[in-house]
Amino acid sequence: MSDDRSRIFAAIREALQPLQSAGKASPYPDYEVGQLTSLPRLGAEESWQAFARNLAAVNGHAYEKIEECAAFLQEHGVTEGYCDPELIDRLREGLGSAFTLHPEFDRASLERYSFGITKASGIIVESGTIILKDRGTSNRLGALAPWVHVAVLTEEAPIFSTMSEALAELGDDPNVIWVTGPSKTADVEGILIEGVHGPGQQLCLHLS
Amino acid sequence: MSTCLCDAFFDDVARATVEVLEFFGCTVDFPENQTCCGQPAFNGGDWKAARTVARHQAHAFAGDQPVIVPSGSCAAMVFHGNLLAFEKETDLPEMEDFARRTWELCDFLVNGLGVEAIPGRYQAKVAVHNSCHTRGSGTGAAMDKLLRSIDGVEVVKIGEPEQCCGFGGTFSVAFPNISSSMGKIKIENLQQEKPDLVVSGDMSCLMHMRGLAQKAGVDYNAQHVVQLIRDALRNEGAL
Amino acid sequence: MKHQEIDTFSEVLAADVKEAVRAGSASGVSKRREILAADFPDANAIRELAGQIKQHTLEHLDTYLEQAEQKMRANGIQVHFAWDGNSAKEQILEIIQQRKARTICKSKSMASEEIELNDFLTEKGYDMVETDLGEFILQLDEDHPSHVVKPIIHKNRRQIAKTFEKHGLGEYNDEPEVITQRARKHLRQKYLQGEVTMTGGNFISAESGRMVIVTNEGNSRFGLAGAKCHIALIGIEKLVPTDRDLGVMLNLLGRSATGQQLTVYTEFISGPRSESQPEGPEEMHVILFNNNRTEVLASDCREILRCIRCGACMNVCPVYRQSSGHAYRSVYPGPLGAVLSPLLAGKAGYPELADLPKASSLCGACQEVCPVNIPIPDLLLRLRNKAKTEHADKAAIGTPDMTLWSELATHPKVWRTAMKSANLLNGLPYDMMPIAPLRAWTRQRTLPKWQGGKFRNWMKEHQKERNHER
Repeated sequence: MSDDRSRIFAAIREALQPLQSAGKASPYPDYEVGQLTSLPRLGAEESWQAFARNLAAVNGHAYEKIEECAAFLQEHGVTEGYCDPELIDRLREGLGSAFTLHPEFDRASLERYSFGITKASGIIVESGTIILKDRGTSNRLGALAPWVHVAVLTEEAPIFSTMSEALAELGDDPNVIWVTGPSKTADVEGILIEGVHGPGQQLCLHLS
Repeated sequence: MSTCLCDAFFDDVARATVEVLEFFGCTVDFPENQTCCGQPAFNGGDWKAARTVARHQAHAFAGDQPVIVPSGSCAAMVFHGNLLAFEKETDLPEMEDFARRTWELCDFLVNGLGVEAIPGRYQAKVAVHNSCHTRGSGTGAAMDKLLRSIDGVEVVKIGEPEQCCGFGGTFSVAFPNISSSMGKIKIENLQQEKPDLVVSGDMSCLMHMRGLAQKAGVDYNAQHVVQLIRDALRNEGAL
Repeated sequence: MKHQEIDTFSEVLAADVKEAVRAGSASGVSKRREILAADFPDANAIRELAGQIKQHTLEHLDTYLEQAEQKMRANGIQVHFAWDGNSAKEQILEIIQQRKARTICKSKSMASEEIELNDFLTEKGYDMVETDLGEFILQLDEDHPSHVVKPIIHKNRRQIAKTFEKHGLGEYNDEPEVITQRARKHLRQKYLQGEVTMTGGNFISAESGRMVIVTNEGNSRFGLAGAKCHIALIGIEKLVPTDRDLGVMLNLLGRSATGQQLTVYTEFISGPRSESQPEGPEEMHVILFNNNRTEVLASDCREILRCIRCGACMNVCPVYRQSSGHAYRSVYPGPLGAVLSPLLAGKAGYPELADLPKASSLCGACQEVCPVNIPIPDLLLRLRNKAKTEHADKAAIGTPDMTLWSELATHPKVWRTAMKSANLLNGLPYDMMPIAPLRAWTRQRTLPKWQGGKFRNWMKEHQKERNHER
């Protein structure tokens, strides 16, 4: 394998040698990230409102009141599921007695969990994106397998206006996921279907 | 530069080009030794043959006068294709000079001469076909400006303007099925708003599309934009 | 005159496939146009910037590759290099054997198609499961993708329903929602059985040693939650210098591919799962894959390596629409494939694919939509020149020899005489045309009336009159 490595590097250097030795290799272009932001999507409202608008545009739902979130879940007949044990105490009362919250995710019984509640590690306003980080997600399957995922944004989680801001703070987490709405596909004749391998409903609950 | 196509088939287009340029105050020379820009060989991959022909053409147009071409396709060969074909040649500087002096006709009228309007009259709903070689150049906007300035001309919308008509030079005979399918779709798109006339800056595209239509027994009116401009000026008594 | 192979493929292509491809492509074109116009005052400036970033990266690839390797290792990723397909397959096999895996869940990866990885591992007795819905359907059908982003653009729901029924996934039902739900249910079990998950990679940031995967379905996420070992096969050209540059690419990729600001899931992966995470890979491998990319880098068509696999070029290509992806006889179809496939095939494989660059009218629509501004028509022209100088027969079919033409065009007197003589062809029946290309032309189109010499005569008279007036 180290032979593969040497071969590849040697071939790259040989390929680029004429260009590099003539000093003609293209320079790195300097640029401002501002031009990458979609101003119409950022809008003029307050951050959470703009975020909620953008999340709604991809058929997600944003809530500031836990009761509204509970109402949504009940409407959809989704009352038993997985919840990050660190969130259970905070949420149990607001959700109400109709709900059964499991603090552990048993991968052998996927059907038991009609929802999964885990922490969001941030949000991005301009795209309606929920940021999940591995260290902040109590269980990868819990955030992914159930039909409904509720990402809970707590006070310390950052609110980024733009993707560029969020990229500057990816940090050292090994698995950062930008979630922008429920999972979907248009593979069959270009017709949009929501809920493929990931959740069919994506919620974000802002706790403050 | 009359182009080989006008030399062979479309004498009236070359004639109208001279008349319109003269109307706007130019003295038009026609170097007798000109033949072809070399594009057919270039596009087919025979860059050696293309260079031979392109060199001959450059020599025919030696000097420092602007070279005006009633074809976006041939003009692009001179100011873009040649730069590729002559990349490794010692006479690249001469071809670069030739390239710098060469203009497609509408681009020249508007951006070279500064023509703001055609003082002419022509009553027609017109669909405009921009040849693919005018992508990224000033030709499309210039042609649009000139047409809209003519009293009586209404420029109508067409479907899928970015889709090629399918001529592509030797592509038309090496890929006849794809070429004619593309052409038929293009004709439908051009006829979307039922124009009186289809107008283009390139006879190659029109030759292909009209050829298809006539073979199928359904012809339509088509002209080079310079012919319409010349006729508009005549209608106003200016020419 | 013989026609080109791709033209014949187009001629016999089923009408419903052509229509499916046309509809899918056209929708991609309009969605892309709408979102770019709505979101940015000058999307072309961003495309140019992305092109410059990628070109710079390619022209300093040794530096960035080394940086990426160091960073990935520091992050806990096991980094491998594969010179070619055989090496990649061997190394993947070794990892799978070490993990004692039986089921491998795979996300969409065009690089893996290049090396026919599925066939290789299936023959060795492994359960290789494609998890992207389109790829899953293709696997059941023993078919291949015909588009880099929409792999089953050529299929309709009825065909898919029949396939599902044939493979025991339920009675015939062609509702897209039902099809999707069935795949979801079936594949969940596979994810949880899979010991190893394989993915491709859209980008690697050299600065942070992070790889990026973008999906809409969540299949790669599920693989990375279910399995204990992750293998990513990524072409060496997928690098960008910094995390900040990822922003330029990500702002263009979704919009160019499917008209989305972002795909549903954008995963930034820099190592195995964190210590506190109960699910996910304990070990992560990245295989940096060459397979002749260095050949392309050394050629005068290296710009094609900028490609970020959005599919916008094939969506807008009228030739792709008429022939569909399979006409390109290679992993990469459309304008991308017309340039990349003959080059990736290497010296040995080139002649067989030398005709691909001919399958174009050089319209340039592809370059206009390319998010990294690849000058595709120029590259096609270069490859046509290569085909001519290397006497690649497949490319020559249907293209007339230009020697006589160039003789005529460099001897003006002979040219003028020939033009005048051509007038004799007026009225001649088309099939009696002495020149083969003209005969070929007239099979589908009329020829205008020859007017050889007419303009020159007029011009002479006109110049005389003008001189008199002076």
